[in-house]
Amino acid sequence: MKNNISRISLKALIAIVFTVFTFSNQLNAQDGAKLFKQNCAVCHASHTDQKLTGPGLKGIFDRAPKGDWLKNWILNNEKLIKSGDAYANKIYNENGKAAMTVFEGQLTDKDVDAILGFIKAPLPAAPGVTPGQTVADATNAEPQGSIDPLYLILGAIIVLAVLLGALRSVRTSLQNSVRRSEGSEELPDLTFWQEAKAWMGQRRRLVGVIAIILLFGGMKSCWDACYRIGVYYDYKTQKGYKPEQPIKFSHKLHAGDNEIACQYCHSSVEKSRHAGIPSVNICMNCHKGIQKGPQYGEKEIAKIYEASGFDPKTGNYDNSKQNPLKWIKVHNLPDHVYFNHSQHVVVGKIECATCHGNVKEMTVAEQKSPLTMKWCIECHRKTEVVMQGNAYYDRLHKALKEKYAGQYDVKFTVDKIGGLECAKCHY
Amino acid sequence: MSKKYWRGLPELHNSPEFQEQQKNEFAEPLPMDEFLSSDETSSNGTTRRDFLKVMGFSTAAVALAACETPVNRSIPYVVKPEEVTPGVANFYATTFYDGHDFSSILVKTREGRPIKIESNDMAHSHNGTNARIQASVLGLYDGARLRGPLVKGQDATWKAADDAVAAALNGNVRILTSTIISPSTKAVIAEFITKHPNTKHVTYDAVSYSALVSANKNVFGKSVVSSYDFSKAKIVVGIACDFLGNWLSGPEFAKQFAKNRKVTKENPDMSQHFHFETNLSLTGANADYRYMVKPSELGKVALSFFNEVAMATGNAKVSGDDKIANADASKAIKKIVAKLIDHKGKSLVVSGLNDEGVQTLINGINKMLDNYGKTVDVENHSNLKQSDDKEFTQMVSDMAAGKVNVLMTYNCNPIYTAPASLNFAAAYKKVAMKVSFAQVLDETAQMADVVCPDNHYLESWGDANPKRGMFTLQQPTINPIFAKPRHEGTRQFQDSILKWSGIKSDYLAYLQGYWNNRVYPNQGKYLDFPSFWAHALHDGCVKVAIHKDAPVTPLATDSTGKPLMEGVATAIAEMMADSSKVVKVEPIAKKKEEKAEEVVLPNPDYNKAGSMAASLKGGKWELFVYEKMGLGNGNYSNNPWLMEMPDPISKVTWDNYITMSPTDVKEMGLREMLRQDIHGSIADLTVNGVTVKVPVYPQPGQTPGTIGLALGYGRSAETLKVANGIGVNAFQFMSVINETIQAVSLNVNIAGTSEKHLFAATQIQHTIMGREEYLLREVSLNEFKSNPKEYWNPAVELAVHGGGKTSVNNVDLWAAHPRPGHKWGMSIDMNLCFGCGACVVACTSENNVAVVGKAEVAKTRDMHWLRIDRYYSSDMNTRKGKEEGLGSKEMYIEMENPSANPQVTFQPMMCQHCNHAPCETVCPVLATSHSTEGLNMMTYNRCIGTRYCANNCPFKVRRFNWFNYNGNEDFATVNPAQQELGRMVLNPDVVVRSRGVMEKCSMCQQRLQAGKLEAKKAGAPLKDGSVKTACQSACPSNAIVFGDLNDADSMISKERNDERSYFLLEDVGIKPTNSYKVKVRNQDEQIIFAEEAPKAEAVKETEEKHS
Repeated sequence: MKNNISRISLKALIAIVFTVFTFSNQLNAQDGAKLFKQNCAVCHASHTDQKLTGPGLKGIFDRAPKGDWLKNWILNNEKLIKSGDAYANKIYNENGKAAMTVFEGQLTDKDVDAILGFIKAPLPAAPGVTPGQTVADATNAEPQGSIDPLYLILGAIIVLAVLLGALRSVRTSLQNSVRRSEGSEELPDLTFWQEAKAWMGQRRRLVGVIAIILLFGGMKSCWDACYRIGVYYDYKTQKGYKPEQPIKFSHKLHAGDNEIACQYCHSSVEKSRHAGIPSVNICMNCHKGIQKGPQYGEKEIAKIYEASGFDPKTGNYDNSKQNPLKWIKVHNLPDHVYFNHSQHVVVGKIECATCHGNVKEMTVAEQKSPLTMKWCIECHRKTEVVMQGNAYYDRLHKALKEKYAGQYDVKFTVDKIGGLECAKCHY
Repeated sequence: MSKKYWRGLPELHNSPEFQEQQKNEFAEPLPMDEFLSSDETSSNGTTRRDFLKVMGFSTAAVALAACETPVNRSIPYVVKPEEVTPGVANFYATTFYDGHDFSSILVKTREGRPIKIESNDMAHSHNGTNARIQASVLGLYDGARLRGPLVKGQDATWKAADDAVAAALNGNVRILTSTIISPSTKAVIAEFITKHPNTKHVTYDAVSYSALVSANKNVFGKSVVSSYDFSKAKIVVGIACDFLGNWLSGPEFAKQFAKNRKVTKENPDMSQHFHFETNLSLTGANADYRYMVKPSELGKVALSFFNEVAMATGNAKVSGDDKIANADASKAIKKIVAKLIDHKGKSLVVSGLNDEGVQTLINGINKMLDNYGKTVDVENHSNLKQSDDKEFTQMVSDMAAGKVNVLMTYNCNPIYTAPASLNFAAAYKKVAMKVSFAQVLDETAQMADVVCPDNHYLESWGDANPKRGMFTLQQPTINPIFAKPRHEGTRQFQDSILKWSGIKSDYLAYLQGYWNNRVYPNQGKYLDFPSFWAHALHDGCVKVAIHKDAPVTPLATDSTGKPLMEGVATAIAEMMADSSKVVKVEPIAKKKEEKAEEVVLPNPDYNKAGSMAASLKGGKWELFVYEKMGLGNGNYSNNPWLMEMPDPISKVTWDNYITMSPTDVKEMGLREMLRQDIHGSIADLTVNGVTVKVPVYPQPGQTPGTIGLALGYGRSAETLKVANGIGVNAFQFMSVINETIQAVSLNVNIAGTSEKHLFAATQIQHTIMGREEYLLREVSLNEFKSNPKEYWNPAVELAVHGGGKTSVNNVDLWAAHPRPGHKWGMSIDMNLCFGCGACVVACTSENNVAVVGKAEVAKTRDMHWLRIDRYYSSDMNTRKGKEEGLGSKEMYIEMENPSANPQVTFQPMMCQHCNHAPCETVCPVLATSHSTEGLNMMTYNRCIGTRYCANNCPFKVRRFNWFNYNGNEDFATVNPAQQELGRMVLNPDVVVRSRGVMEKCSMCQQRLQAGKLEAKKAGAPLKDGSVKTACQSACPSNAIVFGDLNDADSMISKERNDERSYFLLEDVGIKPTNSYKVKVRNQDEQIIFAEEAPKAEAVKETEEKHS
């Protein structure tokens, strides 16, 4: 239901955007919205007063000095502060002397105009997409403390069983009293099980159907359980492993729709053997402002707040309430294998997608490559080493050229420089 | 007719009853009915069906229970510290000082866990490591560490502990510590003394250097220990002084000493080292000439030297008995003195005896030899040892007299270490309030009223002033492991004292305040304190321009009585937060120009010193206790790495034993243990009326009539699970002689018993058995200088069919493989390897080498990837055998016996990474193969454990995992990887091997890969020296050089081209990657007799032997 509502409101928003703005203005604002999302939304709310890292931008055109001041500020706020501009220094001091990014070189004048156009244009109410939406609405939307339906069903079954037993004894005693008054023989004192057996014996077809339904239901739930814990997929390669994560994090939304670079979250991919699961504070860089997602609303994002000890009502962190997230590792290598991301990404210049597939389309992270030794070796056999422009390889390159001199079409693949040797990965 | 036999009367009579009985097979009816009709079986007992049901259910239940979600979880930080990148190591400079060893070190941390100690190359000196320093990181994860304070032996809160101490803080207070070289800690103690004026700080080192202090007071009027520079000494004389090992500052001296031992054809100068000692110490084993002297005569050696030097330099002789039983030694002294006189100002005489008389004489000798200010420096003195034995003994008698009300012990364990004659335990019981700051419940802490556990040094702040003018900082590399909310937690000693002094500041702020006031003004490099502090912390070490001792008085206070330091911490914090800021903090105390103190040199009484030195009267047996390279003074007894590290000399692990001369052992009829896998005897050793049972180890080089016993064993504290119950405590046998605690005991008796003892030694044979040419090349300096390489380091040649010889390199079974990229190589200079064992522990630490315990080592199943082979010289050699006309059998039997005073050679031995490796060809599953970089690779996941490779390895460097040492509960006590805490020390880049696989030196493959990756990422050629193996970086004397042979300018290429370079077992054609360098002994005697062609003889004789 909720998804439908948000989808409908998205459509409504787009419709309104189309109808309200003039053609030129619309172009500007659309670009502006995108640019704003990419560059500013982390720190600023575009159409409200809410203070994130920086102040909310509602009414900015009335507050700020007229003319090119805003543009200058956005492009190079440091310069403006150093120039002794009174308002610039006031803003700087009011916001705890937190330095704003200098966008000179990153944004053109036209970009800034587009962003300003986006801020200037009114934004119609559209739940779930506006950064910095007020928190009061958010809490109303979702009732707190729901009960797991499984418990409800179990409870109902117990109540029904008790009821059934009671009704049965009442029925037996009633029938017996009738029989007694009629003077006929009392009913035999059958146990529950004997009676049930007799009952089932009379309705074999029905019981058979129910049994088949239960059997299949059980098999299905076993299947699902195996699927969740990663048993059912190709056991040897783990390819297709797609465990349910503690947060319904969607790579599609983040890396796909919002085009956040992989390295923004997996920040150690160029430095370390591990690409790194982002720490919660990286999530909070954006989600301090973006408190509601398009699909699950606040529910999933609230889990980040819980992990980081963040209280969205007050905007404060309580470190004592931190509770690390326990993600489930999707790509598992055996302990006796050493793999280094930075070697492949920085030196080998391999794209993330080469091994991880098109993550931008994945709602749930999934293992796309088999990660077997065969797979590693096949790639090492056909991948050429990027030797040009890396002085490390100069000597080796020369030696290899001498070795293969006169041979036509020799590629210096990884295996030619010892990339298949045991101790390159096993130590 | 055949006779008829009856089975009995019944058969004879053949009665009807008998006939009836005959029909039944069994004489009595079987109790079948009774058995079958029992209630249990027939009615409600377990039927077969029930049994099957239960079995079926339990199988299903077990299967279900095992169906735990097999997921790996990945738990990121909530807020990732900026400096931590998972998977990337951080290094922090800090200081190791435990009252015994000192080193400026780098600590490698992974994801916040310290896992390895490296030497800090940014420090100007004092940065070598030894085995104990390397192993100290494991102490951080020692399960025996206290998790919180104890009051009367019960767990308590810090408040309760503080209250208990505060309530008792009256009357005479004594703070007993080992040497403190942290000036700020001394200031903290001074704060406490200001607050509690009846307090006295007493310094007591378990292994005392008190006599050096007294001697310097006698001769120079300074109560300090001199600093030494062995790198400037061409003639070194040691009198029972283990300066390459445990004496004063072993790793530093080893580094200095090595500078004069590196011999090349271009620079053939080499220092000469003479050694007089009782036990065969590490230093004695490395001496050019070594003389065996009884402990009671060591003082007389010093006296003889003094008199000879005095005669030669025209000074007054000292009266006194200087006759030495060893005639060789007394003859040698005259010769040595002549050399000393030739090298005035370039020589050094040192003694490790803690005897005021001897040390005064030594000072006199060095003074006459003009060595002060050159090789010895009393001005820029060392601070590493400051104990005062007189003060300590005085304190013990005060305690016994009930004059001490409160005793605080910090970083010392006197119940365990005090000599028995002082009766410390009885005196300790008389103290009303006993406070201990021990990290573990050691012998003293067990008896203490309040135990306030200190942080481990890797969790602590601190500073150190090891030598005048040198300051180092200590910073925590991890938060305290035991902290709230799980534990009450540990607290740094200084914080406890500050609290009890009523100062409301933590030690870090105090430390910074102290450095701002007392250290910062003495340097001229940095203009503001915060950047000075930041740089000092980064480098771990500061050399100040003004050589001045930092005063240890309390810091100046403001009007409210608070020490002036608050501003400093905030300034530093601000600067740390914003590196662009420069915050100036004025030194609070104004710099005062201090006038150099006028020191009036006292008039030393050498006659008194002489009579003191010669005063010892020896008996039939004399005991000399010594420190081992592993355990030292016992600070780290509970460390399994050190327990398993073979003693450099005896090669015995996990054991404490008495060393005796083999001739004495034979005379007493004890087991001679000719090979180390044969049991030894146990003897009753009686010292001052105390008898202990100790195994006897026949030690070549032990002075006859003397007994050696190592310190650090015999721990009785039960929480020390690794050390508890191993060996006897030798500290109790130390004696108070001439008012100092000496390592000598003269009232000794020994009686053999018939009991046997199994030693766990890692080397079974002692001698090289005539294989010098192939394994252990040695040459005397004379031969080295006057002969070409072919004489002392000949190329290996093989006889070819049809006569003649050819170089082994021309004979090859296989085609050569190209090494286009890197071609790794290692060179080990046997002149610089002193055998200390730092590399062994470093290798264990780096490569997650399993600890296996005594029982397994005794079966030669030790797992060390790197071992140090120790060879004794033998009186028999091939030439002598020929001269005496011995048959080869007799000769080889004779060769097995080491000389009485053998020459010793150390040879580090690890995988030689043979380019034609015998192990590779025999592996049926190709689990060991060769890389294009010239390394022999071992692939654990492929290994199926046939052990063919180990059989075929000529160096016996392959180790087999007979058990799952990291999981098998038989190894739970000894193997730290089995404990939740101990596991933290494992290197996450190296696999923990499981049962049934072979392992061996990988040349620190993980480091090579990491180094190459850094170069590739930077897009620059691999810089020589940027990749170091663990053994290489641990070696204090730089004996190991590693690098890329394809890089012509690399260190390794130069070493490999050196004339002294040779390969082991080259004649076998294995083409090793590692090379060794011929050991040069600075001796006049001929070592090589190549012109007599012993090689051909030996070959012939071996053939004879085999036939």
